[in-house]
Amino acid sequence: MSSAAPVDRRPVLLIAIGAMLAAALGMALGSGFRLATRLREDIAAVQAASALQAYPDELVREVSGLRERLEVRAYTGRALTTLRDSTRAFSDRLQALAAIDHDPATLAPVRRRWHVYRETLAPVLAFHGEPYVDSDTAATRLSSDGHRLYANLERARLLALANTHRFGGELAAVTQGLQSSASTAAARLRLLLLAGVLAALVLAAIAAWLLLSRARHERAAQEARERTRDILRTVREGFFLLDAEHRIGSVWSDALTRMFGREDFAGLGFRELLAGLVPAPTIATALKYVDLLWGDRANENLMKTINPLSQVEARSVDPQSHEPRYLQFDFHRVTGLHGVKYVLCSVVDVTSNVALARELQESQNGANAQLDMLIGMTRTDPLQLASFLDTADAGLQLVNAILKEPARSDAEFRRKLGGLMRELHTLKGEASALELGGVAERLHALESRVSGCESRATLTGDDFLPIVAKLDELVAYLRGIREIAARLELTGDPAPASPGDSIAPILQAAAARLAAEHRKALRIECAGFDAIPPAFAKALKDCLVQLVRNAAVHGIEDPELRRTRSKSDVGLVSARFARTPDGYELTVEDDGAGIAPDTVKAAAVRSGLITEAEAAAMDTRAAIALIFRAGFSTMSDVSLGAGRGVGMDVVARTIRALGGRIGVATAPGKYTRFRIHLPPGGAAATAVA
Amino acid sequence: MLHERELKVFVEGTTNFFEVAAQQPASIGSPYLVEEPLALHEYSGLIEVTGKREGVVCFTAPKTMLAVLLMKMHETDFGHETMRDLVGEVANTISGNARRDFGNDFRISPPRVLFGETPPIEPRPGARTFVIPIHWRSHSAKLVVALG
Repeated sequence: MSSAAPVDRRPVLLIAIGAMLAAALGMALGSGFRLATRLREDIAAVQAASALQAYPDELVREVSGLRERLEVRAYTGRALTTLRDSTRAFSDRLQALAAIDHDPATLAPVRRRWHVYRETLAPVLAFHGEPYVDSDTAATRLSSDGHRLYANLERARLLALANTHRFGGELAAVTQGLQSSASTAAARLRLLLLAGVLAALVLAAIAAWLLLSRARHERAAQEARERTRDILRTVREGFFLLDAEHRIGSVWSDALTRMFGREDFAGLGFRELLAGLVPAPTIATALKYVDLLWGDRANENLMKTINPLSQVEARSVDPQSHEPRYLQFDFHRVTGLHGVKYVLCSVVDVTSNVALARELQESQNGANAQLDMLIGMTRTDPLQLASFLDTADAGLQLVNAILKEPARSDAEFRRKLGGLMRELHTLKGEASALELGGVAERLHALESRVSGCESRATLTGDDFLPIVAKLDELVAYLRGIREIAARLELTGDPAPASPGDSIAPILQAAAARLAAEHRKALRIECAGFDAIPPAFAKALKDCLVQLVRNAAVHGIEDPELRRTRSKSDVGLVSARFARTPDGYELTVEDDGAGIAPDTVKAAAVRSGLITEAEAAAMDTRAAIALIFRAGFSTMSDVSLGAGRGVGMDVVARTIRALGGRIGVATAPGKYTRFRIHLPPGGAAATAVA
Repeated sequence: MLHERELKVFVEGTTNFFEVAAQQPASIGSPYLVEEPLALHEYSGLIEVTGKREGVVCFTAPKTMLAVLLMKMHETDFGHETMRDLVGEVANTISGNARRDFGNDFRISPPRVLFGETPPIEPRPGARTFVIPIHWRSHSAKLVVALG
C-alpha cells in the first residue's frame, strides 16, 4: 500500500504567524505596562503641579498676614511657622515634580522663579525669637530684628505680588504639559490595548484552526489506521516486518494467527516462529538469507531465486493433523533515507496450489504411464499379460482381504504388514519381469507405504488410509490395462498348452531389464520348463522370477570385476527343471560372486535379525540360511529390483507350501546354486495357487 | 480415485463428533475396499456429493452403539427419533468438515437419515467403495465412502 499526498504547509505558516503575533502581543503588553506606569506618574505630577498652582497666592496671603501681625504687634510665631511649612512643602513638591516631569524645559522657569522667591524669603524664614521690645503690653515696639524682619517681609510681599501672576502662569503651563503628556500616554495605551485585543483574537483564531486541523488529521489518521487494520484482518496472506535482529514488529496480518496457531508475534524472533514447523537446517539457511537482504548491494530479484522458503513444507499447527502443508515466504526490503529499515515478509499457504500441481503432475504421469503401459503391453506376450492380470487381481484381492481383517490394537495392525509386503513384492517382481513399469512403480509405491508403517512406534487405522487409497489407485490402474488390452485384443486364453512355456520369456525379459538397470551383462538359459506341471506353474514362476532377480542383482558381478576374476564378461544364469524319481527338481545357478557368509551376517545384524554375538557364533551354513529369513536384505537402498528384504523368504515359504524343500550351495567368487525339490503330487500346489 | 486427503477429511468429521459429543474419541479400524453393494446397519446418516466427486458418504451404526452414545451424551430419550437425529448429526458434522476443507470442489446435500431395511450402498460405476470401521468403546460402526 502506498499514497502520495502533497505536503500541507499551512499549519507551519500559521504557527509562524502565531509566533510573530504572540511576540507582538508581548511587546505591546510590555509597552502598555510602561505607558501605564508613565500615565500613573503623569497623573501624580499633574496632581502635584495643580497643588503648586495655588501656592503663589497662598504665599502672598501668608507674607501679607505676617506683615500685618507685625504692624498690630500680634503674635507672629505661628504665622512664621506656617510660612516655613508652606515654603518647605513647595520646595519638596517642586523637587518631586522635577523628578517626575519628563519635560525639564517647561519646569525650568518655575524653578528659577522659585529660587528668587526662596532667596528673598530666606532672611524671613531664618528669623528666630521675638520681633518686639518686651516692655509692657500697652506700648509694644518693634525691636531692631523686628524692623529687619518687617523690611524683609515687605520686600518678599512686593516680590510675591509682582510675580504671582507669572508664577501661576508658569505652574499652569507645567500642569498643562503634564496633562497633555498623560493624554498622549492614555491614547497610546488605548491603541496598544486595541492592538493587543486584535492580536489575541487572531491568535485564538489560529489556535482554533490548528485544533480543528489537528482533529481533522487525527480523524483521517484514525480512519487510515482502521482501513489498515481492516486490510490486515481480511487479507489471506500473512504480513509482518522483520528488524535487523530478526524480530517481528508490532503490526501483522491476522492470517498469521491461522497459519502459525499463535498470537504472540510482537517481538517474536523469526527463528522461534519457524521452530518446530520446518527443519532446523532450513531455519538456519533462512536466517542467513534474511541477513543477506540487509546488505546494500543485494539484488532483490536475484535474491528471490535463492529464497530457501519460497515453498517450504511445514508441519501443521494442529497437533492432531499429520497432513503436511506448504507455505510460501516472500521477502521485500523496506528502505529509508539511511538504507534498509525493515524486511517485509509475506507468507501464503499454497497447500492447495501444491496439491493442484501434484494432481496435474500425477495426471501427466498417468498419461505418460499409460503410454509406457501401451508400449509395454505391445511388447508383452498376450498370454503372459492375461495371466499377470489374473494373478494381480487375485493378489490385490488378497491384499484387500488382509486389510479387511478386523484390527484395533497395534499388534493386530502390525500383523497385517508381513502379509501385505509379501504379496505386493511378489506382484512387483512379476510386473517388472513383464516390463510393466507403470504397474511395478505403483506396486513399489504401495509397498513403500506398507514398509513405512513398520518403523512407526504405534500403528493405528489412520496409518492404513494411505495404503487403501494407493490400493484403490492400483486396482483402477490394472482395470485400465485390462480394458485397453481387451480393446487391442492383446489378451487371449490365459491357459497355454504348457503352462511352463510362458515362464522362460518372463525370465528372459526380467534378466534383460535387470542387466540394463544394474549395468551388467548376463544371459539366461532355461531348460525343461515344458515339464512343469500346471499345478506348480504359477508358484514356480514367482520363485523363478525372484531367484533370477537375486542372481542378477546380487550374484553376477559387473564386467570389470568378472575380468579380474578371469571370467567371461557375460554372466550366466541357468534354470533347469527336471523330473526325478521322487518328484521334480528345479535348479537355478549363476556363475557370479557367490554368497559371502560374513556379508550375510553383517547384513542380518544391520537389519536387526540377529545380534553381533549371535553372528560371531554362527557357522557358514547357518549364516547362509539367513537369506531365507523374512526381512533379510544385503542392499542398503530400496529399489524396484531388491532391497526390502522380501524375496527369498517368500520363495522358501512358497516351496514349503508346495511340500518341497530348498537348498543352497555356494563358493565365494565362483557360483551360487539353489536346488529345489518338489513332491510328485499337485494337491498342495493347488492350495497355494 | 479418492485421495488419502479426502478420506481423512471424512474420517476426521466422524471421529470429531465422538470427541465433542461424547467426550471420548473414536478410533478407526483397518480400512478396506468393497466392490459389491454394501449393507448398512440399522441407522445411517447419509450425504450426497456432487461436483469434483459424485456419490455418497454415509455413517452407519448399530442401535446398541447409538444407545450407549446417547447415554454418554446424558440423553434420557433413547427413542427412534432421537437415534435418527443422532446419525443425522454425525452426517452433519461430516458434511461441515467437507464443506470447510473442500470448499467449492464438492457440492454437498443436506444429510438424509436411513433406518431399517434400506437398499445397500452401491459402488459408483468403475469405482470401489471405501469402508472405514469406526471403533468407539467396544462398539463398531462404519464410515462408507462411495464416490466416483
